[in-house]
Amino acid sequence: MSSFLHRKRASRCWVVLCRNPNAETQFVRSVLFSTLHEPQPRNLNKPPKPQNATISIESHRILDPGPCSFSPKTSKTLPGSLQNVKNSFASAKSSGFSSNLGLPMVKSLFGFHGDLSRCSLVRLFGTQAAQEPSTSDGLTVDRILNSEWPILTEEESDWKSHATAIAQSIHLIKKRLQWKKLLVRLDMLSVELNKPDLWNDPVHAGKISREHGSLMGKMKEVKAFEQELLEHVDMIKLAREENDVELESESMKALLEMRITSKEKETQALLAREQDPCSCYIEVQSGAGGTESNDWASMVMQMYKMWAQRRGYKMTVVDEMPGEIAGIKRATIKIDGEYAFGYAKAEVGVHRLVRISPFDSNKRRHTSFAAVAVTPILGDVSAHVQINESDLRIERFRSGGSGGQHANTTDSAVRIVHIPTGITATCQNERSQHQNKASAMAVIQARVDQLEMARQTQKNAQYSQSLTDITWGSQIRSYVLQPYRMVKDLRTNYEVSDPDSVLEGDLDGFILSYLSASLDKDEDDR
Amino acid sequence: MKLSLTPKLSTFLKPSLATNLRRSVCSSSLSRPPPTSLKPQSPLFLRPPIHSATSSDLQKWHDWAKTLASSIGSTFADSDNGPDSTLLCRELKWLIDDAIEEEDEEEIENDQRKIRLRVALEELYLLWKQRIQERRPFQYIVGCEHWRDLVLCVQEGVLIPRPETELIVDLVGDVVSDNEELREGLWADLGTGSGAIAIGIGRVLGAGGRVIATDLSPTAISVAAFNVQRYGLQDVVELRQGSWFDPLKDVEGKLAGFVSNPPYIPSDNISGLQAEVGRHEPRVALDGGVNGMDDLLHLCKGAAFMLKPGGFFAFETNGEKQCKYLVEYMENDAGGSFCNLSIVTDFAGIRRFVTGFHK
Repeated sequence: MSSFLHRKRASRCWVVLCRNPNAETQFVRSVLFSTLHEPQPRNLNKPPKPQNATISIESHRILDPGPCSFSPKTSKTLPGSLQNVKNSFASAKSSGFSSNLGLPMVKSLFGFHGDLSRCSLVRLFGTQAAQEPSTSDGLTVDRILNSEWPILTEEESDWKSHATAIAQSIHLIKKRLQWKKLLVRLDMLSVELNKPDLWNDPVHAGKISREHGSLMGKMKEVKAFEQELLEHVDMIKLAREENDVELESESMKALLEMRITSKEKETQALLAREQDPCSCYIEVQSGAGGTESNDWASMVMQMYKMWAQRRGYKMTVVDEMPGEIAGIKRATIKIDGEYAFGYAKAEVGVHRLVRISPFDSNKRRHTSFAAVAVTPILGDVSAHVQINESDLRIERFRSGGSGGQHANTTDSAVRIVHIPTGITATCQNERSQHQNKASAMAVIQARVDQLEMARQTQKNAQYSQSLTDITWGSQIRSYVLQPYRMVKDLRTNYEVSDPDSVLEGDLDGFILSYLSASLDKDEDDR
Repeated sequence: MKLSLTPKLSTFLKPSLATNLRRSVCSSSLSRPPPTSLKPQSPLFLRPPIHSATSSDLQKWHDWAKTLASSIGSTFADSDNGPDSTLLCRELKWLIDDAIEEEDEEEIENDQRKIRLRVALEELYLLWKQRIQERRPFQYIVGCEHWRDLVLCVQEGVLIPRPETELIVDLVGDVVSDNEELREGLWADLGTGSGAIAIGIGRVLGAGGRVIATDLSPTAISVAAFNVQRYGLQDVVELRQGSWFDPLKDVEGKLAGFVSNPPYIPSDNISGLQAEVGRHEPRVALDGGVNGMDDLLHLCKGAAFMLKPGGFFAFETNGEKQCKYLVEYMENDAGGSFCNLSIVTDFAGIRRFVTGFHK
């Protein structure tokens, strides 16, 4: 976990683009390029040439932590000099400023020419700038970030180092929370909440007010964290002025504690989506290829069972269809616990195995596939899609015969088909038909809900949830046992050379790297 | 285990208290207390975990039991539609669920983890042998059947409730949901066996609703009483011993509804039944006479004078032939005293139930 975060941080590149020494208040802009590209060090030393840049503004991603941020879409209204700066962003990126460059790299690429001052930007983005908290001497979180104070280890009692580390975390947290969108959404929800006829539809009203409350909570938490940082910095400065050693060490300690909590908050921010706290179903289906594939599917399922155990989740098998000789054709398990869906959603996709098959007498190497789907179980019953009984076909597997009093079987498997969507669910692991039906019904409900969410997402693309798509298609990870040993995530390039540990459920590295990559790459989502 | 036991019920585990409690069960029942001479067997999952075994010994038993189950393959399924080894392995898992006491703190003895059991390890060997070699029904082995959301105790002499029959409770639930007179009325379950339907209905009726459950067999009555008590329904479900309508003379024409799963298998079919059923379950609960309709027809005749106007009935049958025959009978021979007759299929697609209302 911590090593992962370290990896993440090391891949950042801080580009300070412009600094206007003449402006009344200096402002500095920082850009965070955190991409999934392979590094391209050969271009490192080439300075960008803004006048030649022709790359579309929309094609690059600007990350901006600050109050006076501008979005690419405002480009038309910006004065020419800023346009140049923006082009330089594009060329900086195109000329290869990418990951793995280490810590603060590029300084003061451009100065400002003249007329652009903070005021004009403040006018453009006034509301946010007005709320910007600062210390008594005007230090803001952004300016801490942009001061490029070196980050030392936690043992070093250096307030600048602590403050910078915390400010970086805040920056990352905001990005992961999709801060800008969150604020826009909050505004929208506030408008909605203030409508006098809101409570005419109590279900809708409840939904709105819950979402508002939840987003507000997240927003306030970050703001409070920022505020706390600045207060401690103030205290340290004050303590130094007053020569109050005790106060200084206390504040230093508080900063250090914040620095440690901020790491936890970074991880929490990865799981900030509405469904992330939910329990979930994990379904594994074997690909074509008979016994070897079925065996692989059961290995994948075992991996998730052990992962769930490691995380302290409760695991129940809902449905399991064994293969003829070994393994499983299909299985569904239910994972109960906080954030089960938030983590498990990173596993959706096709998992590939390469090994010498124990089922092949000629000892040939085989490639097998298993598909994984993950479905959240919405805790909020009112959010469930209403399912009509008449839309369901409930079937009982029974090996012929007259049934009823003729047969005494403990097999009471039930299959339910939701006719309008074609979604099916089977359950045979409960001891009564009624319970099997209830379990299968819960799976149907969750899948129908998920489908509806996907539909809503498409409709409402600006607040999209790209992760919940039920995509079976894309291959996400490769597990190679022979001729070499490696597990590699094809989305993040995260890899581990010990497949056994992964197959024993040590998945968190993969999960967290994917979650942060998928959030951190959406730079324009901020 | 699905059912959480109230502290009061767990005292059933102590044999010394059981007699006292049973007396109180009976006295708190309604007018006619069922015979108390029979004491139902305690199901495995309710027995105290007074036995123990090392994890390796238990593992040995498990391996043996699994091998035995696997050796069956589809032999039983091919011969009489019995369980195959996949199902037997699932039963084995459930047997372990019922037999083992899960506990947080582990007892370690000579580097071996001690596992607390509700039954001695030797008996586990015996029980599984009975399951496979004698085809003793799994539900008699563990002494319970999971039925709907209930865990009902069963033992030899009492029919094991079938999954199909769960639907009767849903049918009743549907008719009472929008009919207060039926919801708060008096119901009857004839031939209640373990009390399954009576308990199921007792839980979907309103606060004023009552159920009288009858059975010819004293064993069934005592097992049903135990189950009724376990679900705290002794003020809702009254047990009466006797044949069909005999114990119901005082409520003629007063029933809001009555339901039954009477014996309906034609006598000729009994010998060819699946071994678990034919060799172990009570014939009196299965054999419905030459064409299997003896008791169903008796019930149909009784429905007209037992039900009050607007009253509902639901019977389980052997399948399409019996359903059609009954509907025809009630439309024509019963003098037009019924309406809204319908046939309901079970989840396997077999026409299983006949329902209707008294005019």
